[in-house]
Amino acid sequence: MTEKAVLVVGGGISGIQASLDLASRGYKVYLVEKSPSIGGRMAQLDKTFPTMDCSMCILAPKMIDCSHHHNVQLLTYSEIKGVKGSQGNFVVTVLRKPRFVDETKCTGCGICADHCPVEVPNEFDEQLGMRKAIYMPFPQAVPRAMTVDKTNCIECGLCQKMCQAGAVDLKQEPKEVELNVGAVVVATGFDLFDSSQIPTYGHGRYKNVVTALELERLLCASGPTGGHLIRPSDGKIPRKIAFIQCVGSRDRRFGTTYCSSICCKYSVKDAVLIKEHEPNTTVSIFYIDLRAFGKGFQEFVNRAKSEYGVRFIRSSPGEIMENPATKNLTIWYEDTVAGRIENIEFDLVVLCPALVPRSDAKELAKVLGTEVDEYGFFKAANILTNPVDTTVPGIFVCGYCLGPKTGDIPDSIMQGSATAARVAEVLERV
Amino acid sequence: MKYAFYLGCLIPARELSYEVSVRKVMPELGVELVDMKGTNCCAPFSIQSVDHASWMALAARNLCIAEEMGLDIMTLCNDCYESLLMMNNLLKRNPELRNQVNEILSEVGKEFKGKIDVKNLVDVLYGDVGISKVKTAIKEPINGLKVGAQPGCHLTKPKRIHFELLRGFNELDALVQATGAESVLYERKEMCCGGPLRDINDDLARQVSRQKLMALKDAEVQAIVTVCPFCFLQLDLGQLEIKRHFNEEYNLPVIHFIELLRMGMGMKLEDWEVKAHRIPITQLFKDRLSGIEKK
Amino acid sequence: MSELDLGFMGELANTPRGKGILLCIQCGRCSSGCPVARLTSEHNPRRLMEMVILGFKNEVLPHQLPWYCLSCFTCLDRCPQGGDVGEVMFALRNLAVRQGNIPAGVAAQAKSLYETTRVINPVRTALDKREGLGLGKITTEGLDEVQKILKKTGMDKLILPK
Repeated sequence: MTEKAVLVVGGGISGIQASLDLASRGYKVYLVEKSPSIGGRMAQLDKTFPTMDCSMCILAPKMIDCSHHHNVQLLTYSEIKGVKGSQGNFVVTVLRKPRFVDETKCTGCGICADHCPVEVPNEFDEQLGMRKAIYMPFPQAVPRAMTVDKTNCIECGLCQKMCQAGAVDLKQEPKEVELNVGAVVVATGFDLFDSSQIPTYGHGRYKNVVTALELERLLCASGPTGGHLIRPSDGKIPRKIAFIQCVGSRDRRFGTTYCSSICCKYSVKDAVLIKEHEPNTTVSIFYIDLRAFGKGFQEFVNRAKSEYGVRFIRSSPGEIMENPATKNLTIWYEDTVAGRIENIEFDLVVLCPALVPRSDAKELAKVLGTEVDEYGFFKAANILTNPVDTTVPGIFVCGYCLGPKTGDIPDSIMQGSATAARVAEVLERV
Repeated sequence: MKYAFYLGCLIPARELSYEVSVRKVMPELGVELVDMKGTNCCAPFSIQSVDHASWMALAARNLCIAEEMGLDIMTLCNDCYESLLMMNNLLKRNPELRNQVNEILSEVGKEFKGKIDVKNLVDVLYGDVGISKVKTAIKEPINGLKVGAQPGCHLTKPKRIHFELLRGFNELDALVQATGAESVLYERKEMCCGGPLRDINDDLARQVSRQKLMALKDAEVQAIVTVCPFCFLQLDLGQLEIKRHFNEEYNLPVIHFIELLRMGMGMKLEDWEVKAHRIPITQLFKDRLSGIEKK
Repeated sequence: MSELDLGFMGELANTPRGKGILLCIQCGRCSSGCPVARLTSEHNPRRLMEMVILGFKNEVLPHQLPWYCLSCFTCLDRCPQGGDVGEVMFALRNLAVRQGNIPAGVAAQAKSLYETTRVINPVRTALDKREGLGLGKITTEGLDEVQKILKKTGMDKLILPK
């Protein structure tokens, strides 16, 4: 008998869209998410291109829909441990990691965090800000519940003492649950290329060299600086910013030979955003090829040049040197159009790293029995004819974990809907 | 640990002190060096630039000699290291190239079989002897000395060859620290010394080494430590040439790493070895030199 | 400006060390790190690759340009496409030598190699010093083999005066 239930692995925008589509069609959806909250990468962004909408403003209503929909059950802070069976009848074992907080009782008031004595770098803020050992990853988290990071918790018990809802339970145990589903949707997203693998760019050594995601956190009102664009080293407003494209992308040395497809777009978006925040700051973008495809994008680039004065330099820089006193950065590059070796001093450098498969993607693929391609992304059954099917009937995949198609938010949403349609078609057929 | 000792051309011609220090230090660390007989020049970059097939055959001939000895090669010079290592790797992996080379080598009754590895001094000290053994051998630590270590280009680049051997300037730094000295980070540590341009464009060669010396001076090092004899020449003799052409003085003593190690092990440098350094090292190492009048 | 040789890139790509030229996307990362390019605008690895790609054979081969390279491999390390710029430089120099373009210093080393098996030889004082220290003799053992090899590869014709 076909189970009219679906497992969605990954609570980013793609997984959320697939979940909502399926839930509205009457399917029971189990949305499993590894981190304490759904939302994924889109929750970390400030504004999306090219419409410049506030990312969270678009995402949050969908997140709330997921949490309120009677057909969607959120299993956050959980991981897939095993899959048995076949299309129409999978039995999935999910490990529910203990968050040491009762989700049903927690109101998300945050008093526990106020009193927690332990501070650690905040993953959501890309290590730029701090959080407590008991924390909510971001203010709009769904479910709206705190989580205890047991590795850093010193078990002082203050949170439990201060909680007025009696929600803290430091004795919580991990739990395994079995779910019976007819199909599985994988939407686990991406990680960033580790830019410290290109040592001459100084990421990890020079404080004022940041990745684009770190920049998003600096620009975002919910971020570590409250949305004020300031330099990590001294809190001053940067007056000369450089973006460096293709850090790891199109690079045979690391196996990431593909173009990550969204970086040219988002860096122009960020450049314009910065110019709107700080009109007196100059922004330069160092690129090899400017890939501004799709509706409205070349026009956006032209506006960035003519209206906002963003400088586009055709060059992939060789090295960045730091001034030890000012922590400013000098980029050495060849202006390939002029044919001259030059260097310019900037006070903030933003690297646009390649987007790579999540570190646990291969393991998840093994558990599911699906294949990954030579880059480690989930493999579609056939890129042309079955782009969201995997080689395992009943298991589908959408979003960036499939790899850099066009990869931006509208595409991830489209793919989520496409997968939902495929699931429905397949389960209704069986 | 036993190695076929490949000296190269430059050291016997101009840097006997390097050779002597190696022969004195390595046995103390348990390394036996067996001289290779009848070797030819490794085919450094100048020769590689002339003809490719000649490079292959010349380098391979040396590898064959080591194979006949049944020993891995240890080189001192970065140029020799790069030439022999690259050729060894290329021929081991590419049967077509191997056949090409063996066809040439058959003229002289030799055949490359791919049985040995090529290592350099840092490889042997760090990888085979090991840091802890080096540390134990230090009897008079060189404490408090700020050193700018110059690994030289071909110890660290191209990384795609060296990835497998995992060699980099971290290894040289670790060895320097093992002697008690401090290996200081300076700008563009991986940059070339300019040596390969000697005799081709002396002016450019000088300008490149000048950039290196400026970076080293900015980092306030007290001495420069080299592994490659070309780097030594460029940075040591080079300072005199720079004084003549740019009227700039750096006064940075340059020593071979093996000499630093030797002094750290309690052995004193002889008079003639001290004089082999164009930038005087007497002030810096006064108590470690024998028979020198202390000023 | 002379006529372009549109086959130049293909010719170079067919040499043992030259195939990287086909992968060059002219991003400029190589020249950004080249120590010589920083000092003189005459030497620029990216521009040299560009000239090869466009077919400027006579502007590249007869001149000093390929010989300013340090072979430090900084460019090769940084190239994202496997363009192997440092290797292409060797291929260029190989072609240049066949056209008779070989700097005096390199020719002297090659001649010394042919005559003594070494590119540099110790002077008398160094040889005496060796003897005094009890170090092994520097000989020309193996010279006949070296010469046989260089005759077989044809390098003797490239470097010895006619």
